[in-house]
Amino acid sequence: MNLAPAEYLLPSDSDHLELAERVTARQACGEDSAVTLSRHIYDSFDWRLFLAGLTLEWGLSEAAAADHHDRCASTPASVEDGQAALVVPENGLVLTLREPRDPSAAPVLQWSALEPGFLSEMPDGPVRERLAGLLGIRRLLPMTELISARRRLRLLNEDRKTVVRLVIERNRFRNPATGETGDLSARLRLKPVRGYAREFTDVEQWVRNELGLEPIEGPQVLEALTAAGCRPGGYSSKLDYRLDPDQRADLATKEIHRGLLKTLEANVEGARRNLDSEFLHDLRVATRRTRSALSQIKEVFPATEVDDFKQRFAWLQQVTGPMRDLDVYLLDLPALEKRLPESLRDDLRPLRGLLNDQYQSVQAELAKALESDPFDALLRDWHAFLDAPAPADPEAGQPGTSQPSSGGDSTAPPPKRAQQPIKQVANQRIRKMLERVRSEGRAITETSPPEELHELRKSCKKLRYLMEFFQSLYEPARIRGQIKQTKVLLDNLGRFQDTAVQAQHLRETAEAEGCRDGGIPPATLLAMGLLIGQLQDEQARARSGFSEVFRGFDSDANAARFDALLSDGKGRKRQIGRR
Amino acid sequence: MQTIALYSIKGGVGKTTTAVNLGFLAAAEGWRTLIWDLDPQGAASFFFRIKTEVEGGGRALLRHRRVLEAAIKGTDFEGLDLLPADFSYRHLDLELSRGDKPKRQLRRVLKPLAQEYDLILFDCPPSISLVSENVFAVADALLVPLIPTTLSTRTLEQLDTFLNEKLPKNAPLLLPFFSMADSSKALHRAVMKSVPGQGRLVLRSVIPETAEVERMGLHRMPILAYAGDEAAVAAYRGLWQEVKDALPAR
Repeated sequence: MNLAPAEYLLPSDSDHLELAERVTARQACGEDSAVTLSRHIYDSFDWRLFLAGLTLEWGLSEAAAADHHDRCASTPASVEDGQAALVVPENGLVLTLREPRDPSAAPVLQWSALEPGFLSEMPDGPVRERLAGLLGIRRLLPMTELISARRRLRLLNEDRKTVVRLVIERNRFRNPATGETGDLSARLRLKPVRGYAREFTDVEQWVRNELGLEPIEGPQVLEALTAAGCRPGGYSSKLDYRLDPDQRADLATKEIHRGLLKTLEANVEGARRNLDSEFLHDLRVATRRTRSALSQIKEVFPATEVDDFKQRFAWLQQVTGPMRDLDVYLLDLPALEKRLPESLRDDLRPLRGLLNDQYQSVQAELAKALESDPFDALLRDWHAFLDAPAPADPEAGQPGTSQPSSGGDSTAPPPKRAQQPIKQVANQRIRKMLERVRSEGRAITETSPPEELHELRKSCKKLRYLMEFFQSLYEPARIRGQIKQTKVLLDNLGRFQDTAVQAQHLRETAEAEGCRDGGIPPATLLAMGLLIGQLQDEQARARSGFSEVFRGFDSDANAARFDALLSDGKGRKRQIGRR
Repeated sequence: MQTIALYSIKGGVGKTTTAVNLGFLAAAEGWRTLIWDLDPQGAASFFFRIKTEVEGGGRALLRHRRVLEAAIKGTDFEGLDLLPADFSYRHLDLELSRGDKPKRQLRRVLKPLAQEYDLILFDCPPSISLVSENVFAVADALLVPLIPTTLSTRTLEQLDTFLNEKLPKNAPLLLPFFSMADSSKALHRAVMKSVPGQGRLVLRSVIPETAEVERMGLHRMPILAYAGDEAAVAAYRGLWQEVKDALPAR
């Protein structure tokens, strides 16, 4: 049976020399050379590893670090430097995947001289295997660096054979983004030696009874992450509001916008540096939701300001569009390649080359936009608007303030719905949008042009966003059910639209390249033509499935569920959209 | 997992000292390493201060995974474990011949260790037997120490012929190297000069015969763990590098 190592926190005033003396007085000890280990902790921006109970470290293995110290025979790296002064050899760099919640689980190790990034670029091995399916297209980013200076004692038996290892460890962290460093708690570690379980248990008891230390469970990585200012698991692009049904509509709507702004801002840096394509995706989703909330939660803010911000967020959506289109195109390419017969797949290579060539300049344009004055001003003004005190309710004398809203006309009457309870506004807006979806959907026939399905999809998205914004105001299971039902319709419309967009992209590229000197070769154009045909077939399949999917959404049963959802609990039910 | 066997038909040629030192180097670089002391004399076990004792002996070891797991001991060096010798290993041939596919027994026994170790080093007893045939069947490489004499180069030829006959398709990589070499001896110098010229690959690293290597028995640890600038230390490092270069990529 393999024993798990034990770990103890050392009090900040503990004397490590005296501690080592007590250990050596108890039992004969050998000592290995001290090492300073630097371990970089990686995760995706949205903490996929942490949320799955895993931590990924990359750095020199302890054995390799010790060997390197001995061979260099230079002064050992100092933990005070904030970083290990090791010249990292090409071998000896190891990826270590741990499950901190289960200390007895053996870590998964994989040699890799390559800094972790995208999973697709990681060398094959057990760590890559374990991370497959978890990381998707997200990049692994360095979250913190844990620097440990270890004094390594070996407890010996009567044959002077090592039977237990004892490590006294001083720790520091370094924030890879800012370079900031600081102390972490010192630790004592006991490591079992295989085949000497009884000796390990004896030492464990001595540490508890004589040194008065209690084993700790909390992973050290968590301490290093928190110290570096990380909030593991703290990012999610999902909407999760806790609104009070009686809250004033303008205040509740500001809360919704503040959440969206937070998501938007969290993704700016990653999108600007193009760390992975999900940053821009999340930034654009937050922008789209903001625009949707501005236009759909009507008459809660002054119209002039709403119009101004709507325009400016539309600008943001527009300047981030070309990069997202290119991302989607490149992300779709492997799937498109697979649609082709194997013998033709290589023919698409020049297309990938072309897209890669465009990538840099399009990304540079995006970065420019995200560093521009209009973007800065948009964020600044939007913050100011959301943080400005709301106008007081003249009749009810609601708490708040008597100051006018930022930029608004203090003499103008407050917008019509600003002071209504948010639940009332939510009911009204969801009903309205539901009716629009129904009427647009019912108007679609076999011969309707694709634009009508596109319009329906936009309305459907607005409905979904409204339900997601206001989710906390409704009975949880009911609202989840209705969001899910709406997603089924959206999925069908999305398939129709996405294949249309892909085919459109291919057609536009083919047209532009076909008549350009030195453009992509005819074999590639032919392969693209074949793909366009296939995509159109798929679009036709989605189109033919639409009427059945919409019938499900437009059913009496679904209408009854919406009725139940939106009834205000006082017996005033209004039937929605029943035929 | 890579498997390397230290093998020679002759005894006293430096197999064990090489296994112990290469095991130390591999572990120091972070390879999770196991040395399997197959020699009933138990010299490798002695160097690591581990008792030559396997509960139930070789017979139980071959039959029960639990016995194998329990027999492995950690050495003084992190990442380096040892499966100690047992006096009963002198009958290991007999035990191997009892089961089905006697030449594949070791492969079966090693299977569960593949997840735990990056490298297994066999320290083999000197002979050609069912034990060595089992080792040949699982080893990626045979590391063969040669004392630079005409006789030892002859035994290398014999081994080569034997491997090609027995394992024509998947013979392990044969990596001979000069061991216990004494450059003050004219014969040693002449053999070391002539053998590589005969078209046979011999690793460039030469392990010298020095008093410090002999003193490993007093220190009871790899020479690399206590001697700094010894010629033998550099030689073992060079040998390990050559072995790594010769092995298929991990």
